[in-house]
Amino acid sequence: MSATVAAGRSRHVNVWSAIATTLLYSFLVCLAVIVIYPLIWMALSGFKDNAQIFGDPFALPVHWSWNNYVQAWNQGVRGYVTVSVLVTVASAICTVLISAWTAFGLTRTKMPAKPLVIAIVLGGLMLSPTVAIIPLVKMLQALGLYNTYWALIILYTAFRVPFTTFLIRAYMLDLPEDIDEAATMDGASEGQIFWRITLPLCRPIIISCVILHVLFAWNEYLFAMIFTSGSDVQTLPVGLTSIMATHGTNYAVVFAAMTISALPIVVVFFAAQRYFIRGLAEGIGK
Amino acid sequence: MESGAVLRGVARPQRPNRPRARFANLSSLRWAAIALILIGWFVYYPIVDNFIVSTTDQDIYTGEVTNVGLANYDRLLHDPVVLLALWNNCLYAIISVIFQVFGAFLLAAIIEDLRSERWRRLWRAIYFVPSAISITVTGLLFYFIYQPQIGLLDAALSRVGLSQFVMPWLGNEHTAIYAIIAMSQWQGFGYSTLLFAIAIQKIPRDLYDAATIDGAGPLRRLWSITFPLTREMTGLMIIVTITGAFQVFNEVMVMTAGGPNNSSQVLGTWLYQKAFIEDNFGYGAAIAAVIFVLTMLTGAAQLWYTKQRRVQL
Amino acid sequence: MERSLQVVAVTLAAVSSLGLSMVGSFAASVPVAADPSAKVEYSGTLSVLTKFGLQQLSPYFVNLAQDYEKLHPGVKVELIQESDDSVKGKTKTLVASNSLPDIYFSWTGSWGGNFVRGNRAVDLSAVISPDTDWGKTLSPAAVKAFEYNGKFYGIPLYQDAKFMGYNKQVFAKLGLKAPASFEELLTSCDVIRKSGVTPISFGNKEAWPAIHFAGQLLAYNVPQAKLERDFDPATADYSDAGYVAALKQFSQLVERCTDGAGVNGTSYASALQAFTNAQSAMYYQEIIEFDQAATPDSALKPADFGFFRLPVPTGAKGDPKSIEGAPEGYMINAASKNIPLAIDFMKFATSKENAQVLSAPPYGQPSATIGGASEKNMSAAVVDGLKDINAASYLMPWLDTANPPRVAAVWLSSLQALAGGSMTPEQVMDEVRKAASAVK
Repeated sequence: MSATVAAGRSRHVNVWSAIATTLLYSFLVCLAVIVIYPLIWMALSGFKDNAQIFGDPFALPVHWSWNNYVQAWNQGVRGYVTVSVLVTVASAICTVLISAWTAFGLTRTKMPAKPLVIAIVLGGLMLSPTVAIIPLVKMLQALGLYNTYWALIILYTAFRVPFTTFLIRAYMLDLPEDIDEAATMDGASEGQIFWRITLPLCRPIIISCVILHVLFAWNEYLFAMIFTSGSDVQTLPVGLTSIMATHGTNYAVVFAAMTISALPIVVVFFAAQRYFIRGLAEGIGK
Repeated sequence: MESGAVLRGVARPQRPNRPRARFANLSSLRWAAIALILIGWFVYYPIVDNFIVSTTDQDIYTGEVTNVGLANYDRLLHDPVVLLALWNNCLYAIISVIFQVFGAFLLAAIIEDLRSERWRRLWRAIYFVPSAISITVTGLLFYFIYQPQIGLLDAALSRVGLSQFVMPWLGNEHTAIYAIIAMSQWQGFGYSTLLFAIAIQKIPRDLYDAATIDGAGPLRRLWSITFPLTREMTGLMIIVTITGAFQVFNEVMVMTAGGPNNSSQVLGTWLYQKAFIEDNFGYGAAIAAVIFVLTMLTGAAQLWYTKQRRVQL
Repeated sequence: MERSLQVVAVTLAAVSSLGLSMVGSFAASVPVAADPSAKVEYSGTLSVLTKFGLQQLSPYFVNLAQDYEKLHPGVKVELIQESDDSVKGKTKTLVASNSLPDIYFSWTGSWGGNFVRGNRAVDLSAVISPDTDWGKTLSPAAVKAFEYNGKFYGIPLYQDAKFMGYNKQVFAKLGLKAPASFEELLTSCDVIRKSGVTPISFGNKEAWPAIHFAGQLLAYNVPQAKLERDFDPATADYSDAGYVAALKQFSQLVERCTDGAGVNGTSYASALQAFTNAQSAMYYQEIIEFDQAATPDSALKPADFGFFRLPVPTGAKGDPKSIEGAPEGYMINAASKNIPLAIDFMKFATSKENAQVLSAPPYGQPSATIGGASEKNMSAAVVDGLKDINAASYLMPWLDTANPPRVAAVWLSSLQALAGGSMTPEQVMDEVRKAASAVK
């Protein structure tokens, strides 16, 4: 008797859970469509011509021609990509090295006033770039850095060092100290310990930090918009708005340019997803 | 992106300071010197200077600087657009908290409840994609999506028979800011979902197993295990999201630049408009000071929150 | 511990003082005048900020620079090409950071006046006054448009003015002709709309397109003397009844001829595109856009392109012969290291040969050089438009460059609200008056 009741209940439960599962899955699929479809639309519109874009937005391209992509690439995107790569790579190297250096000082040396230094460095996390923008315009001009790559490299580094230091410091705190203590016994200097022992041990977090920084620098807009003018020093995000302004109504080329600038970062994300998530997981702590 | 860092601080108990006398004190400062100079010079100093600028009136063409005391702040109090911008920032904050904190939490719970690790990874990755893309790209993309002539949205609405809702979303004073905020949710929810997913993964599985044996259904498990055990995360995400909402600039700049008729201005774009379009650096700096105070308040809330949880940076 | 704190404090103090001392440094603010006898040294780099960033226009300066570099191998010309929309913000950032290029674009009116006031423009009187060799080659009216305090500061490159372009085919099919009065324009709009075509495509996302409609209507409704008095912050009161009348006409036009409240969601570029695609019957445009609106490849063919001056409303109390428009030109940075070279480059740019290239398709910018606008190579429409400009009794400057920035900003946002239907003409004028009195 009791067995049949139990069986009935569990069948009941199964029906409901099947419905619930179906609903959940359809919800997840719908959401995925909402997320992905606009991006696919963007890439497809890059293959259309203007008449088609103004015609039916849902239609597939008639001719699959790379023409717009080639045109976008040759009319500016190539230059913007070069600048973006340069600024991103340079600022990523500076940021990660300076941060690792600082994190080492904060975790492995007998630095005076550590809490104060930590407060100053990490306090930078709370300060927003918008607030600093007006004085920075004048300062960079006085330094002769306005409209140079250096302006962006320095600012991206300065504003990202707090965050990156935070991540690396947290990782270093967890590293065993026996190794560098042993190295100290053997007469290694602090510098040698940093370069030869600690830095290599931090490789995973450093990769994560580089990826997080690349995501930031590749996409940054405010500084790039204010501190650069002229297409030879403009990064992709700013260059895209210039393309939009200068190509007036040639929307297909604009769509192609947008797709070209989105693609590398999506590829980087999928290729390095593991490190990226590890970086975030490290950040969250155990 | 900052949220990860902050969270790290939460869960980490402070280590006791180990006495290590083998290196000289002062020379060790060199480890921090580069970072301190860089941050001091390019992050802290401009913010201090901003307060000085905000008490002046500057003519960018002649370079003349007049000291006007607090006049810019007085003007700020009587500027209706500042109020509107502040309200828009608040709207941004409220809606983002609903979607990017609570919505993302639910979504992460749903995803992490799936059996197959491969599917879990796939969903997380798909939802994350927009966060990886530059805000200029997504801003321009949604500018096109909302466009009356070529846009997807109006075309879709008239296809499904909702043509009474067809409108120039970004060109209407009542819908512009919501259209921008909606874009921002589309772009941002995947990132916070990923963070919540990671937090949920840290919850020991046996808690769920025990609860299932006790007959708790999925909703019950969500409410009595997942939610309380990710509460720290939720609290911090709320603060981080609010801080972000008061710093919004890019998406508004790219999509409407504050228009039509200033209806979608936020503090950041109003600062830009005043300082760089209307040549009024002093007033722009005063608006920047407001943003500074607001983000400091949320920052203080964050510190207080982490302190209260008895953990330190 | 205490000692290290001191070290940190000293470092920070040193850093701050370094920064502080820098904020004080500004560009030299002494007036600089061009010396006609200065020898031109053909070496070094010359930077130029243009307003020709638009894809169709940008080759003009690129070719010009290449030709100049070929002529003078020691010179390198660096171009910063901005679009009509982005040049404002870019110019201001460049000014604020003291990094204006050697040669930069400028409008007439309050916009150019700012450079003069800040001693950032070279006084060109000695080389470009109408009685000098160079000045004689340029249209005197255009040179005088850049006159401030009796001195000449600008090199006019081309003339600009606003006209209503229309699709002759659409008009003919509906039995319409170019309207003679503003009221007739409105009734024509009703007819066109009934036929299923948008009468006037109007994109006001950027907010300045509305300024252009309103500006012309203001010139028709408000006497010139009152307008000019109101452009000057010291005397502005915006009390003339013509202002509200003009804005009421503008509202009617938006309601009967355009997509109505939707205009604020459309960019001016898409509106132009709709006209070019023959999806709309009219588009209010600058003469410098004529050759972009109709090309041999577009749905709207050059032969079907016609234009008329925005018709005058009956009973309007301003100047019915006025046209909204102004010459546009370039100034030379007073801080430039090579002023004679910059002047030489601009002489090259305004030479007859280059002027003719500029006036002809695909650029279609009617040159301010005498004889530069030769009818042989120009589009017929541009030639006719130029005649209208020369016949105008008053050139009404653009509202957003004639007014101080703060007043201009209010004009821009309030007219957007008027077009969107959320403000009345009276409310718009209240806002403008408030801003004008705040600027005093």
